[in-house]
Amino acid sequence: MGAGVGVMAARPDTYSPAAVIELEEVSLGWRDKVAVRDLSGCFEKGSLTAVVGPNGAGKSTLLRGIMGLVSPLAGRIRVTGESDGTPAFMPQQGGFDRSFPVSTRDFVAMGAWRRVGPWRAFSSAERQRLDEAMQAVGLGDFGRRPLSTLSGGQLQRALFARLMLHDADTYMLDEPFSAVDRATTEDLMDLVLEWNRCNKTVVVVLHDLELVRRCFPQTLLLAGQCVAWGSTDEVLTPENLHLARHLCAGDYL
Amino acid sequence: MNSIELLYLPFVEFGFMRRALVGAVALALAAGPLGVFLILRRMSLMGDAMAHAILPGVAVGFLTAGLSLTAMTIGGMITGVIVALLAAAVARLTPQREDASFAAFYLVSLGVGVLLISLRGSNMELLHVLFGTVLGMSDAALLLVAATSSITLLVLALIFRPLVLECMDPLFLRSESRMGPVVHVVFLLLLVMTLVAGFQVLGTLMVVGIMMLPAAAARFWAVTAIGQMALAALVGAFASFSGLLLSYYANLPASPAIILAAGIVYFLSVTFGRQGGLWQVAKQARARSLRLSRIPERN
Amino acid sequence: MPYHKFYTSFPHRARRRRLLGMAGGALVLGAWSARAVSRDPLPVVASFSILGDMVREIGGERVTVTTIVGRNSDVHSFEPTPGDAKALQQAKALVLNGLGFEAWLPRLVEASGFNGVSVTASEGVVVRQLNPETGEATHTESKHAEAGHGDHDHTHGDVDPHAWQDLANGMLYARNIAAGLARADPRNASYYESRASGYIARMKALDNEVRSALAAIPPEHRRVISSHDAFGYFGDAYGIEFIPVAGLSSQAEPSARDVARIIQLAREKRVSGVFIENMSNPALAQQVARESDVLMGGTLYSDALGPADQPASTYLGMVSWNAGRLVYVLKQSAQK
Repeated sequence: MGAGVGVMAARPDTYSPAAVIELEEVSLGWRDKVAVRDLSGCFEKGSLTAVVGPNGAGKSTLLRGIMGLVSPLAGRIRVTGESDGTPAFMPQQGGFDRSFPVSTRDFVAMGAWRRVGPWRAFSSAERQRLDEAMQAVGLGDFGRRPLSTLSGGQLQRALFARLMLHDADTYMLDEPFSAVDRATTEDLMDLVLEWNRCNKTVVVVLHDLELVRRCFPQTLLLAGQCVAWGSTDEVLTPENLHLARHLCAGDYL
Repeated sequence: MNSIELLYLPFVEFGFMRRALVGAVALALAAGPLGVFLILRRMSLMGDAMAHAILPGVAVGFLTAGLSLTAMTIGGMITGVIVALLAAAVARLTPQREDASFAAFYLVSLGVGVLLISLRGSNMELLHVLFGTVLGMSDAALLLVAATSSITLLVLALIFRPLVLECMDPLFLRSESRMGPVVHVVFLLLLVMTLVAGFQVLGTLMVVGIMMLPAAAARFWAVTAIGQMALAALVGAFASFSGLLLSYYANLPASPAIILAAGIVYFLSVTFGRQGGLWQVAKQARARSLRLSRIPERN
Repeated sequence: MPYHKFYTSFPHRARRRRLLGMAGGALVLGAWSARAVSRDPLPVVASFSILGDMVREIGGERVTVTTIVGRNSDVHSFEPTPGDAKALQQAKALVLNGLGFEAWLPRLVEASGFNGVSVTASEGVVVRQLNPETGEATHTESKHAEAGHGDHDHTHGDVDPHAWQDLANGMLYARNIAAGLARADPRNASYYESRASGYIARMKALDNEVRSALAAIPPEHRRVISSHDAFGYFGDAYGIEFIPVAGLSSQAEPSARDVARIIQLAREKRVSGVFIENMSNPALAQQVARESDVLMGGTLYSDALGPADQPASTYLGMVSWNAGRLVYVLKQSAQK
């Protein structure tokens, strides 16, 4: 199921037809810094891939590039297999105002934007979807609670619920477990596995290599450029990890 | 004459009291929700800055056409919009943040406004425009305030969802839709429009008061954004009503009296508000220390 | 005898020629400088537009007048500029109203280093005292009314400085101004005197006109509301009752009670017109007129002259205009 093994990813002439996200010698960056260089490969439908690498490896930039928030400096990114456009994306935390006076339920409901838009009312079907999402993340009774009263773990669950409302086929998560307790991490990881079982494509940026080895069949090891991309056992070798650290150290500034 | 009659008799007896009430309440209904959004976006001082930024436009309108409502409104709108757009552009295209760029532009605007006014000598008519005449509102002024408020409330209702998102999680909005910058600009336009209409009622110095004080007070009572907006509008309306009564019975000048009333409500809210008011905080602290002091007893 | 010696001795002829030459030169110099003195106009500074107009009338072409507070500007809240200080420094005479009208003037005089003749136009005027609670006026003889007495906020039982509204005081002003100009420029004293006399004569004629016009109006229609308590002297002189809105200072924002009181007063006392003067808030006056169902009388000029192309651009024009508006409105109300 992998597209490439070893130090450099191979450049296939044709990608497998199940590819959902295709990258063709993509370089991403901004102003004067190139964060990701010459990345080629693809994410297949129904795959569960972890993106790992040292700090400053360009992982977040890669996800944002795929989401279209950053335009590639070179190469092409093709995203297909999505009925309504872009995949569902959870950026790194810290982007939103936690003290905003909104109830948890209203916050999660924002996830339905693509169907409801700025003006349309919430149909009963929508409301049911909302309830189900809240239940799935374990926040079933938290609907009326103001967002500002949620703990870190509860907030993360709410973010997951919001993401689920997209009802997308592809999910991209950027460090979703970074500031969260063990129990919440386990619960949410179970949810991710559930999505994957329903044939959703999931890409997650992580730091916890133990979790990656346990749960993720595919891994992309990134260090400003592709170090290895393929099945987790073959990618997360000590040599690859050492190489990745070495590559990033020079680039760090 | 019982005390209830004291509350409504002045309005029954005098037309100018009724007009003042209508004008001030209409303004408060629109200004309150706008103020809530300013506070939520951490732009609380922007309202005051924007009021000063509008000054040269009003001055130019006055210098070219005298005390013409249309001229001053158009002038104020133009300068307000220019300053807002320039500040936003500078913030987006350069490393400078929006609050700093806005400060720079509005100060330039204010300087130009003061210069223009002093060119024509100390012109009392213009100063009266700047201080407002809530007690002498003409039909045209009343119409302007009512129309502006209606439009503002309507547009706010329309863009409520994207506006909330844009305040709260702009990155999320950006990934879902391209409405973000549009909504931001529309909000600024509403702000300018309400301030320009509010000049006629309360003058430039006080109009920001009716925008920010009720909104700041509402935070201590309401939990949701919508709740805060509704409460801010009500508080503003109540402040207008009681401020006018204060002006009538205690012989105080009218627009400061309204702002004073709003200020009193604010201080009461800070003290007794159920969402983080001082009294509430003290009660919770006491309860907490009581709980903690009981723990050794359980062992 | 030294005289004979002077004419007969040869060395003395040279001395004589020298002496004659010096005398002739001195004569020429004297004549020339005398001509220069009579040609250079006297620089005079007037504190505000009404006085400026009077000085121009009385001084004619022998003076150049600089007015500090120009037309259509408010004297109470005026802030002097460096240009004003410069003009004052170069002036030989300063004409001011006094009675506390120009609060900013003493500082300006000190700052500019003015050392010419200072003329207080209102010297000798029978002063109106203003008691805001009762609204009554008491009269006291003004002694040496200094400029800048008290602050410019006249709402506390102060002196009413608008003495020029009564033409009789205007004549007093003219005489004071003529005397002052004569002190500063004795050469042209008679010129100033004669011009002042002519001016006073015109004032007298206007005074008679106004009196006869107003005499036709019955006493119960002689009450009006004005937005500035500046017409006290006019009211006393010609028998009109002015009820002011919002006190004397044109800056004070009224309270609802003030406005209510005026409307009640207007309804009770059945005033005949509402007048605003060229400086305060017209919206308020309009509201009062609308509610008490009274005629809007238009603009009355009190503290400053109107623009140059309008009738109220001179002192006499201003008084004439004010009287005309009053007569028009009061007559209309009398006919209602």
